[in-house]
Amino acid sequence: MINFDNVSKVYGNDSIALDHVDLTIDPGEFVFLVGASGSGKSTMVRLILKELEPSSGTITVNGVRLSSIPHRAVPRHRRAIGCVFQDFKLLPNKTAAENVAYAMEVTGQKRRAIRVKVPQILDLVGLGEQADKYPGQLSGGEQQRVSIARAFVGQPPILIADEPTGNLDPDTSVGIMQLLHRINRIGTTVLVATHDREMVDVMRKRVVALKDGRVVRDMVRGGYANEV
Amino acid sequence: MRFNLGFFLREAAKNMRLNALMSITAVTTTAVCVLILGVGLLFSAHVESLIRQVGKDVAITAFFPENAPREQVDEARAKVEGYPEVAEVTYISEAEALNRFKETFSEQPNIYEGMDPGVLPASLEIRLAEPGASDTVAERLRSDGFEGLNYPQQAINRLDQVTGYVVWGLRAATVLFLVASVLLISNAIRISIFARRKEIEVMKLVGASDSFVRTPFVLEGLVQGLVGATLAALLVVWGNAIFVEWVQNQIPFIPISSAAVNTLFVLVLLIAVGVLIGVLGSFLSVRRFLRV
Repeated sequence: MINFDNVSKVYGNDSIALDHVDLTIDPGEFVFLVGASGSGKSTMVRLILKELEPSSGTITVNGVRLSSIPHRAVPRHRRAIGCVFQDFKLLPNKTAAENVAYAMEVTGQKRRAIRVKVPQILDLVGLGEQADKYPGQLSGGEQQRVSIARAFVGQPPILIADEPTGNLDPDTSVGIMQLLHRINRIGTTVLVATHDREMVDVMRKRVVALKDGRVVRDMVRGGYANEV
Repeated sequence: MRFNLGFFLREAAKNMRLNALMSITAVTTTAVCVLILGVGLLFSAHVESLIRQVGKDVAITAFFPENAPREQVDEARAKVEGYPEVAEVTYISEAEALNRFKETFSEQPNIYEGMDPGVLPASLEIRLAEPGASDTVAERLRSDGFEGLNYPQQAINRLDQVTGYVVWGLRAATVLFLVASVLLISNAIRISIFARRKEIEVMKLVGASDSFVRTPFVLEGLVQGLVGATLAALLVVWGNAIFVEWVQNQIPFIPISSAAVNTLFVLVLLIAVGVLIGVLGSFLSVRRFLRV
């Protein structure tokens, strides 16, 4: 589903963000990407989204080499990847429902389909009652649920979450993780970049640990700090 | 992908409502620029028209020798009428010349008392099609045997020169102003879009194509340009009508004319300029923030 083959990323001249990374994520997997700040987690996420280009190596997503995607086809590539961010990245002038609907409008779906789908997905993330509130009127956890609903509404084969619980308290984080887990069980490949130690330990999922741009550990049912 | 005009229009309308202050700024800037542009346009139209009017009044007087025979007069007149630079030829006989003289000095009859009709020579009054041609016409007249010529050569040359300067100056000012307004308006639009660059980034991350993000912004620019320019253009045309009427009533010897300005043309031109600037300004400004 996602494949990194000997990928390096160097910022500027000498700041190495990723150092010869090999990683394969199969369809339907739930993978935690862990590591301290600056270990290269966000760089990997941005490379997968084709926000950045690797300095060397090849990245394949959904069977397509990213280097072969022209600029104008990048939007279509991104629509196949649901994205959740630490800071939610919701449009402030749109209600929860409109934010979710925007992701569907982007793909040119019919208004009728949007009207049916949006309430369903908001119910799924537990925000059926808050559909008409603006991001500013919602709590952090609720905003992150909207963002997950938006990421998932197009039913992308891959969902990537970059520090989804970074701004949330532990109780709220559990709810978000359960939601991601549920989305994974439907068959979506989920990749979560995080340094939320407790969460990783509780979930017992595959854990890929990065340190200074290298993969230092890859365990099928790992915890955050398992000794190698 | 299907082009969803309804969605884009709703988006544009909503953005303008939410960013009302920015929209008002853009509309006002457009209106002021188009207003000044329109005033410049009308000013130069009126000046050019006035200069043309004054030029029409330039005349050359060619005197006949004393007691010139009838045939000579007719022949000369026909010849002069045949010059390509000449608009109109009037024959002033000796008697008419004296009458005019008497009229001019009607207050002091002692000046013309006892004057013989033959004292003042008969002449041709020649109106030129274009004031710049007076030298050529004078040359032709001399080669056709006229000796006494009376024409305001220096005044004509001056007028011609000044006309050229004024017209070119006005045109240069108009172009400069056009450039200035493009910069000013696109700057106003850029500021309003800069305030929303985060939104643009999010749209792109959700998978919106460049044109999908851009279209509502461009529609917004179009509407702002249209509103601002229409207001200004109507104001310009209305102000022009009032100005022309005022001059005609108050300073009747200035040959100003509403015919100097093609109202419809000015309206369409000014609105088109406003719309074009609005569309171009927003198009170019959004482009800078689309590289995500």
